[in-house]
Amino acid sequence: MGREVNRVRSKEYKINRCVIYIFLVGLTVLTIYPIIYIFFGSFKENRELVLGGWNILPQKFVISNYTDAWEMANFAGYTFNSVILSIGTMIVALFVTSMAGYCYARGEFPCKELFYNLMIAFMFINVGSISLRPLFELAVKVHLNQSRVTMILISAAGSQATFIFLVRGYMNTTPKELDEAAKIDGCGFFHIYWKIILPILKPVLSAVALLSFRGGWNEYIMPMIFTMSNPSLRPLTVGVVSLRNMGDRAAAWNIMFAGSVISIVPIIILYMFTSKYFMEGMTVGAVKG
Amino acid sequence: MKKKVNLTVWFMMLPSLFLLAVGSVYPFLWIFRYIFYDYNGFTAYFSGMDNVSRLFRDAIYWKSVGNTFEYAAMKLIFCIPLSLLAAVVLHQKLRGSSFFRGVFFMPTVISSAVYSLIFYFIFASYNGVLNSMLMASGITHHAIDWLGSPKTAMISVVIVAVWGGFGNYMILIMSGLSSISEEVYESARIDGANGRQIFFKITIPLLGPVLKVILMLAITGALKDYQSILVLTGGGPNHRTQVMFSYIYQLCFGSDASGIQIQLGYGAVLSLVSAFIIGIITVIYLRFSKKMDEVY
Repeated sequence: MGREVNRVRSKEYKINRCVIYIFLVGLTVLTIYPIIYIFFGSFKENRELVLGGWNILPQKFVISNYTDAWEMANFAGYTFNSVILSIGTMIVALFVTSMAGYCYARGEFPCKELFYNLMIAFMFINVGSISLRPLFELAVKVHLNQSRVTMILISAAGSQATFIFLVRGYMNTTPKELDEAAKIDGCGFFHIYWKIILPILKPVLSAVALLSFRGGWNEYIMPMIFTMSNPSLRPLTVGVVSLRNMGDRAAAWNIMFAGSVISIVPIIILYMFTSKYFMEGMTVGAVKG
Repeated sequence: MKKKVNLTVWFMMLPSLFLLAVGSVYPFLWIFRYIFYDYNGFTAYFSGMDNVSRLFRDAIYWKSVGNTFEYAAMKLIFCIPLSLLAAVVLHQKLRGSSFFRGVFFMPTVISSAVYSLIFYFIFASYNGVLNSMLMASGITHHAIDWLGSPKTAMISVVIVAVWGGFGNYMILIMSGLSSISEEVYESARIDGANGRQIFFKITIPLLGPVLKVILMLAITGALKDYQSILVLTGGGPNHRTQVMFSYIYQLCFGSDASGIQIQLGYGAVLSLVSAFIIGIITVIYLRFSKKMDEVY
């Protein structure tokens, strides 16, 4: 009798597992299909791409799409711009938010609450792309509209609230005794930050680094607006999408395929090695924020 | 000594306060100023309340508000159950579960502009890969103009949004699941509860508080989406996929495709109204979820 129940159970269990795996594998195929499609498509000849069909693998494997994109369509320059924008955003974010998070957690200064609440309030007020217009006009006024620095600062400004929130939260969980002991030893406020706090903040700062790098790498609307009159400063996202908006659409498909791959492969490779930190960072930032 | 500390703090706060002032506060004040102006980017005329009265006559804007709700509702209807299901399945001890989790989360690290471009190719009407597959398998006989036909444009945009978003919500739900203690499940299983009972009677109620936060993030997030729509359809065909913020983008920066001229004053009014609409939805949602607390 007991055996019978066990057998029924295990059969049910097997069917369950089967259904679960079919679901998971199906979802995996749907998730990676667009990536596979663009990756193999980027090695197809333009003629084959325009002709379409549902073959994934190229009939004739060509590498010229990449060389054309890199040399003729200036993807070398776009890649360079993307690297500068994302690394710049990351450095600014690390620098600004670690100091501000530390000050909000441990510092005393007038209007502290006011500034903090203002920052959090602006996290929730979303007026869309119009806020880029005054920033653009301001940049024109101070002759910084053709500068990478402007784009880096705006990208960092957009995400600083979340990161400061993260750093401050992390600071609040670390014991105050640590920096108080250093204070008694005669360390100054900045000195404590530099020597003691920064090493403690390593886990949360690695999340900030990853998320801000991704933010800079994937920025699209803002750099599009700031590079309208200066295509040579475009990052990959803007460069590849703007190819489509140019007159002869069909002619540039192969370049766009190669360009899309150039723009997503670096971030996917980064993700493969750091997926755990990406997920943790997103979770903490979203649920607590 | 005290004074010196204060100076150091100010010095360390300065970069952040600068970014806050220039990046958030200044644009916000700028918007308020231009409510009363007719401004095309070069010359501004004082126009009083014209922009406000135009708001009530602008059929495209109200259509875009309706589209925003339709888009957000469809995105959530597909996205949330899918991510909940994936999270619950992957939360079990399962071979390969961290692989699947990694794959499902991957779209969230890719730029939505670029994956929208990829889907633009997949959806292409003339010999696009989706049409080719559907025609080869005999599901349809003519190519469907996915992004160009008013009938299918919205669902196509939603499919892309779900593809790009469900992994994110899955991860958030999984972090909520991991806070439910294993003992609760253990005792339920000893009492003979089956999988479905455990899901509806234990997982969902215990996940409630986290799910509420996630749902709020999902709603406000979906109402603000527009980047992917700009790349896929530019709000077309005939404003069928125009959402509030894509319309505002076109009013602020112009659009060749929709033939919209730059009208910053009017864009300013619409931005504030749209932010207000999202605020109201958020408040209604919070009220509603509190009511739900009282019922259960």
